Amino acid sequence: MLQINNNYFQLFELSESFELDLNSLAEKYREMQVEVHPDRFANAGETEKLRAVQLTSFLNEAYGTLKSPLRRAGHLLGLHGRDVDQVSQSDLGAELLFEQMQLREALDELPDDESALPELDKLKSAVSKKLADRQQNFASNIDQGELDEAKKIFHEMQFLLKLLSEIEIGEEQRLGY
Amino acid sequence: MALLKISEPGGKATQPAHHLAVGIDLGTTNSLVAASCGGGVKPLPDAEGRYLLPSVVQYRENQPPLVGAQAKFNTATDPANTIVSVKRLLGKSLSELTALGHFLPYQFDANRDDSSPAIVTVAGIKDPVRVSADILAELARRAEHCLKGKLEGAVITVPAYFDDAQRQQTKDAAALAGLNVLRLLNEPTAAAVAYGLDSQDQGNIIVFDLGGGTFDVSLLSLQKGVFEVLATGGDTNLGGDDFDRLLADWIRSQANSGNELDAAATIRLLHLANDAKHRLSDAATIDLTYQQWSGEINNEQFAELCDDLIKKTINTCRRVLRDAAMTVADIDNIILVGGATRMPVIREAVTRFFEKQPLTELDPDKIVAIGAGIQADVLIGNKSAENFLLLDVNPLSLGIETMGELVEKIIPRNTTIPVAKAQEFTTFKDGQTIMSLHVVQGERELVKDCRSLARFELRGIPPMVAGAAKIRVRFQVDADGLLGVSAEELSTGKMAEIQVKPSYGLNADAIEQMLQSSQDHAHADMEARALKEAQLEATQLIDAMNSARKIDGELLTEAESERIMDAVSQLQNEIASGNSNQIHALTERLNRVSGDFAARRMDLHIGKALRGESIEAVEKSAD
Repeated sequence: MLQINNNYFQLFELSESFELDLNSLAEKYREMQVEVHPDRFANAGETEKLRAVQLTSFLNEAYGTLKSPLRRAGHLLGLHGRDVDQVSQSDLGAELLFEQMQLREALDELPDDESALPELDKLKSAVSKKLADRQQNFASNIDQGELDEAKKIFHEMQFLLKLLSEIEIGEEQRLGY
Repeated sequence: MALLKISEPGGKATQPAHHLAVGIDLGTTNSLVAASCGGGVKPLPDAEGRYLLPSVVQYRENQPPLVGAQAKFNTATDPANTIVSVKRLLGKSLSELTALGHFLPYQFDANRDDSSPAIVTVAGIKDPVRVSADILAELARRAEHCLKGKLEGAVITVPAYFDDAQRQQTKDAAALAGLNVLRLLNEPTAAAVAYGLDSQDQGNIIVFDLGGGTFDVSLLSLQKGVFEVLATGGDTNLGGDDFDRLLADWIRSQANSGNELDAAATIRLLHLANDAKHRLSDAATIDLTYQQWSGEINNEQFAELCDDLIKKTINTCRRVLRDAAMTVADIDNIILVGGATRMPVIREAVTRFFEKQPLTELDPDKIVAIGAGIQADVLIGNKSAENFLLLDVNPLSLGIETMGELVEKIIPRNTTIPVAKAQEFTTFKDGQTIMSLHVVQGERELVKDCRSLARFELRGIPPMVAGAAKIRVRFQVDADGLLGVSAEELSTGKMAEIQVKPSYGLNADAIEQMLQSSQDHAHADMEARALKEAQLEATQLIDAMNSARKIDGELLTEAESERIMDAVSQLQNEIASGNSNQIHALTERLNRVSGDFAARRMDLHIGKALRGESIEAVEKSAD
C-alpha cells in the first residue's frame, strides 16, 4: 500500500498550527479528492478501485481530523510526540474535575420535558463559551511549545465537547426526535 | 482503466464510443429511468409516452409478471398476488414489518425464517429482492428499447437514510435484474446534482425529499462542481403513503363505518384517500363521498390530521442543520423532491421553518432519476469527470457491541465516505482463542435499539494471558455506503475478512441460486451480452495499457514490460475467438500483471498532491 504522509498539515500544504484557514483546507481537499475519488475509477480494475477507496478514506480521515478543532489539537499533540490516548492523573487538575461535576449536576437536575429547553440553551452557550476560551488557550500554548499545558487543555476540551453533545442529546430527547 | 487514462493530455487521441448507462430511481410508489440521449439527460418514456412506472408487480400463473400501470390497476381485484410499495419491505424482517403496521394483504411463506420474509404468489414464492428486480428489469427493457442497445451500467438511487441491509438488498436486486451497478447514489444527492448542474448555483442547499414511503433531508454545499453532503437525516418509514392512511382512517370515522374491511375494500378506501390527497394539492376544500357518507375536508383540517407526521419531518430538518452546525440563515435554497412534497401542507411547513420559499420549478418526480442519469454518464466515461465530484456521507453511525450490551461508535453519522477506521481490541480471559464481534448501525446507546448488521468471529488467536493479544478491527465503508469489516491479530498477522452481509436479507448462496435460475431463462441472451461486455472491457484495457506504456513506460522494468506485453497479446488473440469467461480470465490476468504498474502510476500522478513518502516509495519500487 502507498506510504501516505501522516503529517496531515504537510499533506494539505498548510503550516503546522492550530489556527487554520478552513477555506483553503477545504479547497485543497477538494482538489485532491477530484484525483483519487472512487467515482473516477468506476470502470477501472479491482486493484485500482480498491486503491481509490483506500486513498480516499485516508484523505477523508485527514480532512476530518484537521476540520475538527478537537481532533486537530490531538493531531498536533501527536506530531509533537504526545499520545492523547494516554491520560495521566496530572493531566486532569482538580479544578477541571470540580467544574465538570458542577456542570453535569446542573444538567442532571433539569426536568425531563420541554420546560428544560431554555435552561439547556443557557447551559449550552456557557459550555460553548468555555470551549472557545480553551481553544484560544490551546493555540497559544502549542505555538509556544508548552506541550504539557496544551495536553491538559486538550483534555479539558474533550470534557467540554462530551458535555456539549450530552446537552444536545438532552435537547433532542425533550423535543422528541 | 480510468486510472491509466488520467494523465493522457486531453484524451482526444481516439473518439471514445458512447456507452449506454442509465440512472434509475427505484421508488416506493413510482420508478423512473433516465439517460443521456441527444443533448442532456432525460427521463425515458414507455411506448405510450408515460415516464412514471408504478412500482407495482402482479404475479400471474404461467405468465411473466405484470409490472406498472396495469398491475396497479389490478391491485384491488388481486391484492394477494399484486405487490405494491415493495421498497418498504427491503432489508426488513417480518416481525419488523408487522410492528411497523404496514398494510400487507399478502401471505408470507411460513417456511422462511423471520429475517428473510417472502410472499407466496400464484407464480411461486417471491421475496422483496425478486420483486424489486422485476421492476428494475422492466425499466432496463424500456431503456434498451429507447436507446437501441444493451445497457452497460446503471446508477441506482436509494434513500439517503437507507441502512446497510436496505442498500445491500437494492444492489442484490439490480444484480438479479442483470444490471451492472456503477454506484448506489443517495436520492437527495442525485436531486442536488440535477439541480446544481442545471442552475450553476453555489452555496448551501437543502434537499427535502418526501417520497411515497421514505423521507430524507440532506444539506449540501455546492462549489464549482463539487457536491459535498454536509449532513443527512430522515426516516425510511415515513412517506406519502402515511398521509393516505391517516386520511383513510379519518374518512372511515366520519362515515361511521365500523365493519372490518377486507383487503380489496381497504385498497379501494386507500385509493379514495390518495385521490383526495391529490385533489387537496389543487383546491383548498374538496368534496368526498364514501359509501353512504358524503362530506368535505379542507387543507387546514388535513394539516391538523397530519400534524405529527409534519412535525417529524421538520424535526429532522432541525437535526440536519445541527449536525452541519448551521442555522436556517445559512441556507441559500431549498429543493423539494418526491411527489408527496406537492402537498400544500408540506410546502407551508417547509417555508415556515426555513423562512424561505422552496424552489418549485423542478419536477419533484423526475429530478432524482435525472441526477442519477448524469452520474451514470460520468461514471461510465461519457462525460468528463473534471470539475464534477460527489462527496456523500454515511447516514447512520456504525459501531460495535461492547461489554454490557453497549454500543461503541466507530464511525459517527455524517462522516464523508469512503471511510476507514481501525480499532484495537484485546482478550479478556487467559488463553482466549476466539473473539466475536457484533457490528451494529444506529444512534442509540444500547445494542438492542440499533440494527444488527453482522456478527463474526475471529478464530485462532494464539493463546496468551488476558489483555496480551492485540486485535485490530478495520471498518471500511465504500462509495456505495456499504460496510466491509476485517480483523487482524497483530502479533501473528492472522486475518479475517468479511463483506458485511447483513443478518437481514439474503446470504450469498441464495443470491447465486437466484442468479442461476434467472440465467437459465435467458441463458443465450446473457451469454451474448456477457461476451460483448467482456470484449469491450478487454479492448478498453488494452488501449489504455498501450497508451499508458507510451506515457509512463519508464516506470517498468524490462521483465515487467515483457510480462505485460505477453498478457496483452494473449488477450488480443482471445477477443475475437474466445468466450466471455476466457476473455474475462485473461483480462483479469492483464489487470494482475499490470497492477504494480497502475499503482506506481497512481503514486506518480498523485505524488505531487500527497507529497512526502509516497514519492520515495515510487522511486524505491522503480529501482
